[in-house]
Amino acid sequence: MTTLVLDHVTKRFGGLVATNDVSLAIPPARITGVIGPNGAGKTTIVNLITGMLPLTAGAIRLGGRDLTHAAAHEVGRAGIARTFQNIRLLREASVADNIMVGFHRHEAVSVTASLFGLPSARRETARIRVRTQALLERFGMQRFADHPAGALAYGHQRRVEMMRALATEPDILILDEPVAGMNDVEARELGDIFEDLARSGMGIMLIEHNMRFVMRLCANIFVLDGGRLIAEGPPDAIAADPAVITAYLGI
Amino acid sequence: MIKFLAAYRPLIDLFLLQSGYALSQYIVLRAGVFSIASAGLAAIGAYVAALLTMRLGLSPILSIPIGAVAGLASALLISWPLARLRGVYQAIATLAFVQIVLSLNLYAEAVTGGAMGLNGIPSLVGTWTLLPVLIGVGYVVTAVNANKLGRAFEAMRQDEAVAASLGVSVTLNQSIAFGLSGAIAGLYGGLEAFHSYALEPNQFGFAFVVATLSYVVFGGRRSVLGPIIGTAVLVALPELARPLAENRTLAYGVLLMLVINFMPRGIVDSLLEYVHRRRMARP
Ligand SMILES: Nc1ncnc2c1ncn2[C@@H]1O[C@H](COP(=O)(O)OP(=O)(O)O)[C@@H](O)[C@H]1O
Ligand SMILES: [Mg+2]
Repeated sequence: MTTLVLDHVTKRFGGLVATNDVSLAIPPARITGVIGPNGAGKTTIVNLITGMLPLTAGAIRLGGRDLTHAAAHEVGRAGIARTFQNIRLLREASVADNIMVGFHRHEAVSVTASLFGLPSARRETARIRVRTQALLERFGMQRFADHPAGALAYGHQRRVEMMRALATEPDILILDEPVAGMNDVEARELGDIFEDLARSGMGIMLIEHNMRFVMRLCANIFVLDGGRLIAEGPPDAIAADPAVITAYLGI
Repeated sequence: MIKFLAAYRPLIDLFLLQSGYALSQYIVLRAGVFSIASAGLAAIGAYVAALLTMRLGLSPILSIPIGAVAGLASALLISWPLARLRGVYQAIATLAFVQIVLSLNLYAEAVTGGAMGLNGIPSLVGTWTLLPVLIGVGYVVTAVNANKLGRAFEAMRQDEAVAASLGVSVTLNQSIAFGLSGAIAGLYGGLEAFHSYALEPNQFGFAFVVATLSYVVFGGRRSVLGPIIGTAVLVALPELARPLAENRTLAYGVLLMLVINFMPRGIVDSLLEYVHRRRMARP
């Protein structure tokens, strides 16, 4: 069982402290929420975890493994996948092709086999195609398989990002505002999928603005404000926390 | 048919050779590396192959593959410093590499023949060698596109950060693309050496860079057919435009400008995309 741990993590951008001494844990088999107003530093934490930004101080570990200074592709290979708040698809590629790249980490085929299109490489590709089909079905997106990803509606693009992240079969899945701009029905559908994933053992870090959504799904919630952790606890405790109410709910 | 072949033999051979260079250029662009080193790598392959046969008496059957390996090795060597650069900086750095190879060729006169180049290389490569080689290289490039490497290349080309987040090592995969490009360039350098009796340094200079880039930009950067069709059209164009006499270069330029403006993805990719959209639009 692999828990993602942030240990006194700090990130400075010049004079701005975007992440201030944050410690948190994302355990397996449950959904952990990270909430906070705009500019609280949520996305920065995702970028720190995934090796896209270097830490100023602190440490990041996955299970027994130190990922503090790991490069982005090493973090991906270690079993952490993410979606992007500002959707980053391979816009020119088809939906299916977008998902198929996600399996990269599990492709054992050699460079030689790939270069010469040996049967092992072709079998691997065929296997991945089947699994891509399964993901498309899970998200109800089969009919878009051959569409260029960039031409899809916003909500559908978000789904493609999730399928691509899931294709890596991660231990930890980080979702940066996955239901932003979706209606309640769509959000509920996705919420059910997230719960399924957690039940199967995946640790999910859910960053979200939609409070009802977070409260319904999360076992534990961390609240950030101004780069600092101001509260942690189960949903009902968070909803009643005076610090959270002032900072986040703006009451 | 036989008569046609005989009349157009030089043009067909030119197309078969240039297509190889176009594929060498294509494969790096495919992986998001803006390298124009193919000219220098082809020069290395050409000189290595020619010199091994002329000075050491090695059979071209060996010296041409060794030229390809020299292209591969040189590419892997320069891929290391190149990994830190992106976009236009990669273009400038690789252009510098092309210039360095050119200067070394001129400078090492005792070995390379300097500006005079090498003459009297046995002409052993013809259409019936070039054709199967192009089919072979075309097959490799197609296989790459269809498998693990191609998926990683495509991701890197479109968004490096996304590729990395999925566990794709950008440095490693760029080196692989670059090495493959170098091997193809080196191979075709050797083939050209044994096709045309003579080599001189300037045939791997700036004009080479512009020509190979044009093939890919004109034909298209995604489908393997892009660089091949691009080469076919641009190689045939001076022939087709013969009635225009001295305005031929003008026609070439205008055509290139039109394609870049109205089909920025190249003729083949634009066409494929159009067909695909039509197919998708149908209920
Ligand atoms: N690359 C960066 N360089 C400078 N400042 C940044 C950078 N990324 C984020 N910030 C700043 O850090 C703060 C936190 O941003 P962010 O993590 O995106 O917040 P959130 O995701 O919670 O809305 C903001 O003030 C933002 O302007
Ligand atoms: Mg954010």
